[in-house]
Amino acid sequence: MTAATVQEWPWRALTDRITQHGFLMVLALLFVGLSLSTRAFFTLDNQMGMLHAMAPVVIIAAGMALVVMSGKLDISVGSIAFLSVAIGALGIKYLSWHPLFAFSVSALTGGLLGAINGIIIVVLRVNPLITTLGTMIMFRGVALQLTDANVIVLPDTVRHFGNLAAGPVYFDVIVATGILLACHQLHLRTPFGRQLTAIGNGDDVAARVGIPVARTVFLSFVLCGVLAATGGVFAAMQVGSVTTFLGQGLEFTAVAIVVVGGISLFGGQGSILGGVLLGALTFEMIRNGLNHLGANPYSYRLVGGVIIFIAMYADALKRRSRNEPSGL
Amino acid sequence: MMEPNRSLVMQGIAKAYPGVVALEDAGFEAFAGEALAVMGANGAGKSTLMNILGGEVQRDRGVITLAGHPIDPASPREAAALGIAFVHQELTMLPTMTVAENIFIDAFPLQHGLIDTASMNKQAAGLLNRLGAIIEPEQIVEALSTGDRQMVEIARALRRNPSVIIFDEPTSSLTQPEKESLFKVIRGLKRDGAVVLYITHFIEEIFEICDRVTVLRSGRTVGSGAISGMTSDAVLRLMLGDVTTTSAKSKSRPASSNVALEVRGLTRRPLLSDISFDIGAGEVVGIWGLLGSGRTELMRALTGLDPINAGTIRWRTEDGLAPITPRALHALTGFVTEDRRGEGLLLPHSVEDNIALPSLSKLTSWFGFINRPQKAALASSMIAQLGIKIAGPKQAVSTLSGGNQQKVVLGRWLACGPKLYLLDEPTRGLDVNAKAELLSLALKLAHEGASVLLVCSEFDELMRVCDRYLVMVRGRIVATLPGSVDPGNLMSALSRSKAVLEAAP
Repeated sequence: MTAATVQEWPWRALTDRITQHGFLMVLALLFVGLSLSTRAFFTLDNQMGMLHAMAPVVIIAAGMALVVMSGKLDISVGSIAFLSVAIGALGIKYLSWHPLFAFSVSALTGGLLGAINGIIIVVLRVNPLITTLGTMIMFRGVALQLTDANVIVLPDTVRHFGNLAAGPVYFDVIVATGILLACHQLHLRTPFGRQLTAIGNGDDVAARVGIPVARTVFLSFVLCGVLAATGGVFAAMQVGSVTTFLGQGLEFTAVAIVVVGGISLFGGQGSILGGVLLGALTFEMIRNGLNHLGANPYSYRLVGGVIIFIAMYADALKRRSRNEPSGL
Repeated sequence: MMEPNRSLVMQGIAKAYPGVVALEDAGFEAFAGEALAVMGANGAGKSTLMNILGGEVQRDRGVITLAGHPIDPASPREAAALGIAFVHQELTMLPTMTVAENIFIDAFPLQHGLIDTASMNKQAAGLLNRLGAIIEPEQIVEALSTGDRQMVEIARALRRNPSVIIFDEPTSSLTQPEKESLFKVIRGLKRDGAVVLYITHFIEEIFEICDRVTVLRSGRTVGSGAISGMTSDAVLRLMLGDVTTTSAKSKSRPASSNVALEVRGLTRRPLLSDISFDIGAGEVVGIWGLLGSGRTELMRALTGLDPINAGTIRWRTEDGLAPITPRALHALTGFVTEDRRGEGLLLPHSVEDNIALPSLSKLTSWFGFINRPQKAALASSMIAQLGIKIAGPKQAVSTLSGGNQQKVVLGRWLACGPKLYLLDEPTRGLDVNAKAELLSLALKLAHEGASVLLVCSEFDELMRVCDRYLVMVRGRIVATLPGSVDPGNLMSALSRSKAVLEAAP
């Protein structure tokens, strides 16, 4: 028995190293490989375009990361994005709201929808996955009803704003960077963020330590809702319209980004800035690179799926190596 | 500095859980600047009493006054606000966070709305220093040893400058120097006028650090007094009940020469060292020791639930004793513990389902479907054999009393026919009749040829059934006594060997 534990060590050290830095290495290799094999990949335009394309989902994933930090999950973010942006767009179209006002209403709606999730989870004590699965379907249903499943075209000024750039840097990239940095600080430097992490270590322990678990979890869902709506606004502005596809599948992209970024779905672990950036870059680079390679567009899903599995396996390995010594 | 009335009084505290009375009439008086030892055997109600004070459990009855004012801590937060700090035995660490964050988790020092990490780390270092602990505040708790984690837990409690501080088994994972510095801190707390409540299973510690002692037994306070007027024998007697009234059942059965299980040098550092013993077929062997002596750990190590560092186990087969791995032994063993849920009783399911569960593969008919009549027959034979009192085999286990639930656990094992039973506090939380029935079931199993290893904190229960006793202290078997031993001798075996072990660590 002793021999077995001793023999495990070098293997564990190896897997540790791989899990810690493996994804970064893969990402670097991918970057170099794509730069060499396609002419268009390693150009300023393409790189900036990648960041531009990433911006909305980075904002949504930042909110998701906060929720995941506490060991919870919100898969309604795509539907929250759709419903809240649809309300703003309808306001612009029929009530001739000023776009700035309209999108503020969208963000507010996102917070409200997040609060609904929060109340169901905290007060009714329904499992977060089940809760947000339900609201994911519900919110989308409401949005489809409101829009009659029609496309709402946004005014040209808004579309212009969505693709506004200062030099090579798109405006939404700046906003996404700001939000990501703010979430990172929120996570690392505020009592709220630290208490979320504490809850991610276990609801029971956190409660016994004296953390207001319910309030903290509720707030994280509200924030996640606001950020989901904000990400949705930028996504809609990029294309200049609100279609029924807005936010569809986005929840899974956001979860995948968080997971690939090394933020454990079990909670309490990971860095928001590094994690979301790493995850979002990975997926965007694969999508963009496969595009330039002229690959079948559907192959992106296959590759993306494989990457998620690898990330989950790495997370499981990490947990296993962590749990064994404390089992003593 | 010290006001005479600034003391903590708990009076007539009662608390019942469904099916179990944890506290009936418990209480104590503790004085500022003094340490009060709260003693009691496993299940006496110490933890419940402390959890009530710490705001984690709400009492059914009773009065708590602090400095003359009645208090009613409804949550750990409220208790903390009242100046009551609780150092849990079950550590409440947040492993993925730093030491300093763990200490300040509910009261971060802020600057401009952000956590002032520098100041937090500095204060944490100060607190750890006061404890004499060498731990970096920036370190992630995950990487710390249990002893270090315990120190962090204590540092968290000290942070609030509490007026009442509860230590629940603080030394069980500390090394000797760590223990010394903890005692130094406790003396400092006493000097500052705090009320210290100290729970431990190491009796000798209370003579070192406490001023008064209160002893609980079965949810009642059975004695209190100044430590100077107590001996460890007297405390033990209070904890375990009056031995003289216990009628030790005379065991005339000869020790079986037919050894069924032989254990040699079993070691699981640091909890078990060099455990060696035999059990004969048809023998009931009691493990006599206090909680924390390694009783449960021994059973877990034997069955492979915890890894072992050294030792051999041999098991009787047709060709004589053959080595066996703990995991293989597990498959041959019926394991009953006080934790009925943890044993895998499916509470919402029926008695019949629960009994048949491990035997399902033997009960299949064609195509692998479960043969229902056979399953029902098995269950009803067990129900009859064990005298489980239920309306019918379809009754849900969750609606049964503790004793009947425990019988369902036993019935489940009986159906598999194991040759060895490990019973770890099987009577915990049961009423007197259920206890008696369960114990006679254990005897019946032995008569039918099984070997039974029994852990029980209740002295008289142990004496009723055991053919032999293994006395355990701090992970060692310090004595083996025959079943006919005089109760007084058995009692003092514990304190005697404790003293010997203390003298030669």
